[in-house]
Amino acid sequence: MNALLSILIQSHPLEGWFFGSGKALVVLAVALILLVGFGLWMWRAEARLKSLETKLNHKNQSES
Amino acid sequence: MGHNVWKIGGFALIAYVLVMVFAVPMGPGLLELRATGKATATEESGRALPEYLLTGFGTHWSDQSSQLQVVVRSKTNLAKLEVIEVIDDTHARIGVALPYSLPSKSWDVLINHPTDGTLLLENGLFLSDRFIDESLTLPPISIVELQDDLPFHFPYQPRILESIRNLMLHVPMWFTMFVLMGIAFVASIKQLATARALIEDEKSEAAVKVGLLFGFLGLVTGSVWARFTWGAWWVDDPQLNGALVTVLVYSGYMVLRNSIDNAPLRARLSAAYNLFAFIILIILLMVLPRFTESLHPGKGGNPGFNSYDLDSALRAAFYPAVIGWILIGIWMYRINLRFTRLQKLLK
Repeated sequence: MNALLSILIQSHPLEGWFFGSGKALVVLAVALILLVGFGLWMWRAEARLKSLETKLNHKNQSES
Repeated sequence: MGHNVWKIGGFALIAYVLVMVFAVPMGPGLLELRATGKATATEESGRALPEYLLTGFGTHWSDQSSQLQVVVRSKTNLAKLEVIEVIDDTHARIGVALPYSLPSKSWDVLINHPTDGTLLLENGLFLSDRFIDESLTLPPISIVELQDDLPFHFPYQPRILESIRNLMLHVPMWFTMFVLMGIAFVASIKQLATARALIEDEKSEAAVKVGLLFGFLGLVTGSVWARFTWGAWWVDDPQLNGALVTVLVYSGYMVLRNSIDNAPLRARLSAAYNLFAFIILIILLMVLPRFTESLHPGKGGNPGFNSYDLDSALRAAFYPAVIGWILIGIWMYRINLRFTRLQKLLK
């Protein structure tokens, strides 16, 4: 890993630093947290929509 | 739970793709062979040779440095260069022991190394100070193509380098947009064909809204990639301009919808507009760029990320990325559609 780090830093300093120093893994962790958060938010939004649809249907049925 | 598997699958695929994007290392490649302006005497040739500095990317020349071979190639002619010294894993001093009379000025550079395999730098050596006679042939030498001995890695691409990882974020945005705009196109045809309820109009609107989001993301990821590989955030290129015009055309669809209060009229007009918008999308993004000069891969005669350079490592991340983003896009569309319907019901 150290050898890979030195190679990357010599050839392309920014990318070498990013991937070699472990910062890429930090970005990966943040990206995964955001992805999971987005997925849960969509799940929750769909559940709320379903609940509202059901309530509305009941209301319409009772009115009719 | 069963009917939700595809939703979880979409996110699981993108999580897997993100791990691949950030954790898989790049394979080795050659960056340049540059003249240093010095001449160095070597034991092998016994005379002073023009010295060049060979620079690699992610190479391992310090390991088994004596095994490093450097060869130049022009058509069928091959000539061996002398390795004066391996400085470190990515740098080596090379002596160019070529005769004054040569069959070509421009030469591909090939290296052979047990760890990195055979690497190629196209037109890496240009000799402007030689006598050129295209009928000349150099004495034949034998070279064996080696496979690298490295763990799983993404392939090295000249100029693109580490930004190849963006392939898994940029291209699937457009694939997802195509799918969503396709859904909107079908819904618009149904709307015009049936012209009864506004169900298909709602579908079309929801699909275009989410499709536009993916279109904007495609533009942003493409612009960032262009800055890295072409040196500018935006270049006057048919593919790029076509993508921007397509997104603007679909933005016009949303403007049109919002400008008409009468719902049945809005449904008919926007459905008709959407048919033309989809045809424009096909023409601007898939047809025209193939017949014009373009910097973009896969267009204007440039090789795309196809069998030529999309190797098995990239496929293992790219295909799941396409499927994952499409699944997420469809889920977003469905939520948007249900939300729109609920809003209308509540009104």
